[in-house]
Amino acid sequence: MSFLDTPVGGAFRALQDDDHHLGPMQRITGTMRCFRDDEEVDYLVVGVGSAGGVLCQRLARGGFKVVGMEAGRFWDSERDWVSDEAGSHGLYWEDPRVIGGTDPLTLGANNCGKGVGGGSVHWAAFAPRFHPSDFEVYTRDGVGADWPISYQDLKPYYELLELEMPVAGPAWYPWGDPHGYAYGPHPMGEVGNTLIRGCTKLGIGVSVGGPVAILSGSRGDRAHCIYRGFCIQACKVGAKASTLITHVPDALVHGAEVRDRCMAARIELGKNNRVAGVHYFDREGKARFQRAKAVIVSGYAIETPRLLLNSACPEYPQGLANSSGTVGKYLMAQAGNVIAGRFDELIRMYKAPPAHCLTEEFYETDPKRDFARGFAIQTVGPLPIAFAKQMMAAKGVWGWGLRRTMMDYNHWCALGLLGEILPWEDNAVTISATDKDQFGLPVAHVTFNLHDNDKKLIAYGKNVVMDVMCAAGAEEVVQESRCAHLVGAARMGSDPATSVVDGFGRTHDIANLFVCDGSVMPTQGSANPGLTIQALAARTADYLISQGTAIFNTDRRDMTPPPVRRELSPPGTHGDGVPRLK
Amino acid sequence: MLRRKPLLPILGLLLVGALLYRPRRRPTARRVFVEGMEAVAAHIREGRFQRGLSLVAGLSSILAGADVASEHYRGSYNQKIMWSPVVLSGAMTVAGVWGAFSTWAARTVLRWTSLATLIDGVVGFGFHIRGIARKPGGWRLPVANIIMGPPIFAPLLFGVAAYLGLVASYLRPEESPVIDPRTKAARLRDFLLRRPPPAWRVELREGRFQKHLAAVTMLSTFFSGFEALYSHYKTNFKYKAQWTPVIMTPLLMGAAGASMKSARVARTWLPGLSLLAMLNGGVGFFYHMRGVLRRPGGLKQLPYNLIYGPPAFAPLLFAACGFYGVLASLMRRETD
Amino acid sequence: MESDPARLPVDAEGKPLVPRPQPGYYPKFSTLSQQAFWDAATRTVVLQRVTAPPPVRFFTAPEAEIIQRVIEHVLPQDDRVPERQIPILPFIDERLFAGRTPGYRFEDMPPDGEAYRLFLRAVDLMALEAHGAQFLRLPWHEADVLLQSVHDGKPSGAQDIWKKLPVKHFWTIMMGDCVEAYYAHPWAWDEIGFGGPAYPRAYFRLEGGAPEPWESHERHYAWDLPPGCVSGEHEAEAAHTDTPTHGETGSH
Ligand SMILES: Cc1cc2nc3c(=O)[nH]c(=O)nc-3n(C[C@H](O)[C@H](O)[C@H](O)COP(=O)(O)OP(=O)(O)OC[C@H]3O[C@@H](n4cnc5c(N)ncnc54)[C@H](O)[C@@H]3O)c2cc1C
Ligand code: SF4
Repeated sequence: MSFLDTPVGGAFRALQDDDHHLGPMQRITGTMRCFRDDEEVDYLVVGVGSAGGVLCQRLARGGFKVVGMEAGRFWDSERDWVSDEAGSHGLYWEDPRVIGGTDPLTLGANNCGKGVGGGSVHWAAFAPRFHPSDFEVYTRDGVGADWPISYQDLKPYYELLELEMPVAGPAWYPWGDPHGYAYGPHPMGEVGNTLIRGCTKLGIGVSVGGPVAILSGSRGDRAHCIYRGFCIQACKVGAKASTLITHVPDALVHGAEVRDRCMAARIELGKNNRVAGVHYFDREGKARFQRAKAVIVSGYAIETPRLLLNSACPEYPQGLANSSGTVGKYLMAQAGNVIAGRFDELIRMYKAPPAHCLTEEFYETDPKRDFARGFAIQTVGPLPIAFAKQMMAAKGVWGWGLRRTMMDYNHWCALGLLGEILPWEDNAVTISATDKDQFGLPVAHVTFNLHDNDKKLIAYGKNVVMDVMCAAGAEEVVQESRCAHLVGAARMGSDPATSVVDGFGRTHDIANLFVCDGSVMPTQGSANPGLTIQALAARTADYLISQGTAIFNTDRRDMTPPPVRRELSPPGTHGDGVPRLK
Repeated sequence: MLRRKPLLPILGLLLVGALLYRPRRRPTARRVFVEGMEAVAAHIREGRFQRGLSLVAGLSSILAGADVASEHYRGSYNQKIMWSPVVLSGAMTVAGVWGAFSTWAARTVLRWTSLATLIDGVVGFGFHIRGIARKPGGWRLPVANIIMGPPIFAPLLFGVAAYLGLVASYLRPEESPVIDPRTKAARLRDFLLRRPPPAWRVELREGRFQKHLAAVTMLSTFFSGFEALYSHYKTNFKYKAQWTPVIMTPLLMGAAGASMKSARVARTWLPGLSLLAMLNGGVGFFYHMRGVLRRPGGLKQLPYNLIYGPPAFAPLLFAACGFYGVLASLMRRETD
Repeated sequence: MESDPARLPVDAEGKPLVPRPQPGYYPKFSTLSQQAFWDAATRTVVLQRVTAPPPVRFFTAPEAEIIQRVIEHVLPQDDRVPERQIPILPFIDERLFAGRTPGYRFEDMPPDGEAYRLFLRAVDLMALEAHGAQFLRLPWHEADVLLQSVHDGKPSGAQDIWKKLPVKHFWTIMMGDCVEAYYAHPWAWDEIGFGGPAYPRAYFRLEGGAPEPWESHERHYAWDLPPGCVSGEHEAEAAHTDTPTHGETGSH
């Protein structure tokens, strides 16, 4: 009886130590280096999220003096995170923002993170690569834009990050550039089984058990997944990769400072068209200024353009590095419709990580359809509050109708559409004329409109997902429109007139100002962006390291591709896992 | 020395046993078969089955290797040591097959490979215990963490197969004379060192280790049955048949345990229950394979379903325990 | 509060179901009974929610009375015995008091606190216009119908206020706040059979909707909407009609 009723030795108690925990075993040991404000650091990275975490780690290993400035907290997973939906709001950026347009993006829990690790703390951790076609959408389909880099440029970094996170997945992944995963796939929950059933019935291929940046076997001092389904509430287990646990500890070991609870307010333009540092508000809300030889903005597709726009100065009246007028424009989100099906049998979709099975069968442009580009279908696992909200939107239920639907929560299964929305100039982040945040800084105003191609794609895609759900045996299928994954808004390109940064993330306007996060993406495919964001960060870091001090004292723009530095990976990256098939 | 008749009940339960003493006159295929069985039984009784057992150890290592390879793939080979049983089971296969053809290989290659594999199993057991301890909640959540952590007794079960190889290395090949069990070299050495061969070696060589093997049967049944218990519990005993290995386990363990005390049990209950266990394992294998095919995606997701469906080899490992029991019942007792 | 039999869900014969401590199809299930298996941080947060709901500080007493009544319509709990009804108002109030946003404000919406106050004025005005009485004085059914019109995005009155307060957006925010409080409560988890916090101990029966040993099997029984209730099922909202409201919950 006893050990079924309580844990051996009684209830789990609060921690008695003062250690900084990142999961049940991992800890941050040693003291962090601290730089003075007037000390000119080499790189100041604004935002220690998906991209920022990787950058700090790489640059610190490369021997630079690095400060990562993060608006949110430096999480202690055992004390700060809870295994509870309503208790996890602190993970998301819920500072005020204004939204508008014909299809306003309700940001909420559905955008960037706040705190060290950023969005990688609460992502579902689907980690597919982009397809080669994603880098040349304009050339192939005459819509969107081309990237200044190709899939081949990024491929070594995909391979690297897939080991660093690491990404678990099938031994063979057939879509895009076919490849295999070195870490074995995950077991299925019933949502994944539903996707497999539906797809198999319709003759659609599925990728089972990944690719997802969650450990299927324990590695080092990280335990493997315990299938608790709270990924979006942050993984207390340490199984799901976030830069907080994969890269930031190594950054600290190599002398980087992560300055948490410090909000960058404005980037200062100094002499000779070079930035001199960043004005910020520290933990006590005091305005301070950190000097830096170069600044990298990694604040997410909303906060990055906001910071650049808020840094307007006489030389750049439309916003820093915005001589092209493109900062904030071409913001993208992916169509993230949730399709829910009610089954006679029990599903219990709260079990297993939301991300565990997907198909990219519809990813590429198909001339038989009347729209460009495509979509993916993925498992999701909304917990009760999220599901109640989805049902309100999908079925229009309220009152007793809502209660009744929710009483059947365990009979519902949810699948996500992930559709490519093209970059449009009118989808933009601007600065709100009216609203200010707690520091008195103007907040972001996010305008979003769906265009013709997007609407056709969504209409088609959601029908496919509904067909899959029906084929799996659902007797009632409903859907909720939503969007996910904001990127763009400071896009890269080879033409300074139509883009903000070059292929390495350096702003066209200012030689020592960089942008490195999801905002540099010219298009986004229908793969979740997280892996690509981190791969881009690793590539930018390799570039910066190979440039040495040239970044700090010349304006020369050397575009030679850097060598891939595998040796910069965090410890324990190489040598484990199974040999990758390709 | 060879006071006893072949052990009837065993072969009886083999469904051919009924034929053993009956129509002696008819020189048929059946008769050839029966005589073959008798010869095998005699070989076992006398410890002259090195080649056979080497082959069994070698071939069963293929199973064990496939099992551990797929289990460790689920764990992504996140530690290099996870490769060791995979490599060793390959080595065991080679050594076992080689040992079947060469007495020299059986006495050297197979012996040392088996020993290494056995040690690897014990070390692996330690790692699996540690693995459970390192899961969230560790040993304070024994139920959840044994079920979801590394399979606790799997390494020991793996070691049992190696133990067979070790035993084989001490046996005599089938063609050796019934009596003088010692080899020339051993005789020479014994002469030079002026010491008799240790008793356990003589016993092994002469097939007098029934109690010993019964104990092994008991242990391995426990390891295998425990795994059946928690993995069937994991699926909530959805099918009644999932109880059968769980129920069989204490029975077979009991019979094996009692065999260490009683020669009678060793000739009656032990073979009977062992054969049942083999049957159960066979049927279980069939159902597990059916379960694999019935998973979502079925054949289209075969590799995945093999890894994450009902473990194909687990029932066979349970059957192997039955096999050890049968073998034990065919042996002579240590005191014989 | 005494429950009016006409407001109770009914069984197969249309007879009102007696209020229970725990409605839903998992009668014996209790997530709170598993709290020893939760980590301390989570246990603190959840128990705080259960034992000490925050005080009402944002709404004035008369406002609180109206909003409480609205909540009883939009998320009715008459099937729960009074001492097991889940507090909702305190959690909405707390958010507004602390000035926490859900992370956005629609450009055509006032800030949330102001929006709630406008809404309270609107329902009273609608009640006055249609029935000549304050909202709180309306009979149950009439209040239901009034709120249904708000849900439908076609409020039956107070058009001047609704010009400043886009009705669909407001409805989404208010309902979001309500479910955020209700389905955050362990009693609601018990009702719907959700396993609740799951760390350090998690799940091992992932497939086939099987319950963990400590979870319950589902026991379905006839349960139907209270007769005459208007908040039943509705046509699924077609995507991209007039004002599509995009989901704000994170998923993948
Ligand atoms: C619910 C959900 C599920 C998701 N699931 C997936 C998935 O399965 N797969 C996938 O690939 N992607 C997923 N994503 C998307 C993914 O999380 C993001 O695309 C990614 O994290 C963005 O990385 P980033 O570096 O651009 O920004 P972030 O990781 O968000 O980092 C930005 C950081 O900068 C900080 N910051 C911003 N402004 C300032 C400032 N002024 N001063 C100081 N600090 C600042 C922020 O606090 C934040 O920590 C998901 C997102 C959500 C919301
Ligand atoms: S399901 Fe796995 S990855 Fe997700 S939070 Fe739980 S343990 Fe972490």
